[in-house]
Amino acid sequence: MVFDPSILIPYLPLLAAGTWLTVKISVMAFFLGYAVGIVLALVALIPHWVPRLVVSVYVAILRGIPFIIVVFLVYYGLPFAGVRLPAYVTGTVALGLFASAYYAEIVRAAIVALSPGQFESARAVGMSPLQAMRHVIAPQILRALVPPSTNMTLTMIKESSVLSSITVADLTYQSLVIQGNTFAPFESFAAVTLIYWAMTAIVAWAFARSERRLGRIEAENVGRSALVASFLSFDRRPAS
Amino acid sequence: MSATPVLSVAGLVKRFRGVTALDGVYLDVGKGEVVALIGPSGCGKSTLLRCLTWLEQPDDGFITIEGKAFGRERTGAVVTPQRRRQVDLMRPRIGLVFQQLNLWPHLTAIENVIRPQLVVLRRSRAEATERARALMANLGLSDRSERYPHSLSGGQRQRVAIARALAMDPALMLFDEPTSALDPELVGEVLALLRQLAATGMTMVVVTHEIAFAANVADRIAFMDQGRIIEDGPAAKVMTRPSDPRVARFLDLITPGSPGHR
Repeated sequence: MVFDPSILIPYLPLLAAGTWLTVKISVMAFFLGYAVGIVLALVALIPHWVPRLVVSVYVAILRGIPFIIVVFLVYYGLPFAGVRLPAYVTGTVALGLFASAYYAEIVRAAIVALSPGQFESARAVGMSPLQAMRHVIAPQILRALVPPSTNMTLTMIKESSVLSSITVADLTYQSLVIQGNTFAPFESFAAVTLIYWAMTAIVAWAFARSERRLGRIEAENVGRSALVASFLSFDRRPAS
Repeated sequence: MSATPVLSVAGLVKRFRGVTALDGVYLDVGKGEVVALIGPSGCGKSTLLRCLTWLEQPDDGFITIEGKAFGRERTGAVVTPQRRRQVDLMRPRIGLVFQQLNLWPHLTAIENVIRPQLVVLRRSRAEATERARALMANLGLSDRSERYPHSLSGGQRQRVAIARALAMDPALMLFDEPTSALDPELVGEVLALLRQLAATGMTMVVVTHEIAFAANVADRIAFMDQGRIIEDGPAAKVMTRPSDPRVARFLDLITPGSPGHR
């Protein structure tokens, strides 16, 4: 056997199409996940047990089952409800909701980590609530969000490969097609490895850059609590 | 001492869910006066400072800063709460140094001092920077101005917090237990700083457990117990001949190593 990457040349358009779909799904799931996550985090901060319970049940369910099962449940479950959507739509929504459970906890932790004294000291010098928000509160929350969001977003991009199992023609799906056609599985998967790695590397670089632009966070506020730590570590994520 | 007191507090009452934290506090502080506010923990000292900055709204009573009503106004028999904007406009006149300092960790030391001047007093950046530099130099922080709060020592952070309050050119400075969060060896440094500030003629109310500071720097000692100021007088008198036995008992408790010194 000889390692021959040239065997992939005819399949480059297929790889490009798969890459493009993976990028599209990841971007949409990111925005969907973050939007839902922010709403969930704000709901969880309402000082009443009902909203808090609703959010924690949602988070517990999505954190507690493998992503591939989430996908199967949504994909095969929706037709029972009379809803028939293209697989990539279902897949994107499932991925977004899966990520939202984690983003919700990231946002909530960033808000909770902020001491109420920060708002008070801004108010005490004479800032209006809005000015306090803009100059003191928002910058701290934003920068606290970046490091844990980086991890979750990279995880989410990689998890999108699971969607190939519900016939979404993403990068992983195309690699399976190519290896079926060429009988060269190693070359196919090696190529896909490089593409996934490039995508995650670009995202990681972009997040690191935005973190630098927001200024570095000091260790006091973030990463100390067990809750935040559990979202920073990969191995506590439910396996799929 | 000028005719109008810098701070005048009359009949201040604050209750938290039925618990009375302030039970009719009266206090006048004249220009340039340094008042040490002492008393057992839970007596309402911190609540009083929070009410004086309107972070906590007192249920009853009036606060007057330099002759102007703060928080709520009385015209004849009608009491009207001030608008939020009005309260915000008065707040820079009162500099509060929190017990926990509450510096803004995402800004450098000097930016902590500059930013409120820009936002609240609408000073130009050049003017605000100049003012901040002068204050930092006075407080011995010139070489620390570009550092972030987390990389400063406790004493340095304290000085940044003081500079942030002073930059607003307050008429009155309030200190909430300025030495309680510090390592023992830094206590002397901060007390010297407060003494230096008092010497510039700054009007100050200092909540403290440092009896030495109360005795040596303060012009007056106000003693609080159960939400009231039960003794208020010249420091020397309160220290040596308190009229209320509760004050004498408290002073005995916190005066180290000299049970019979009075």
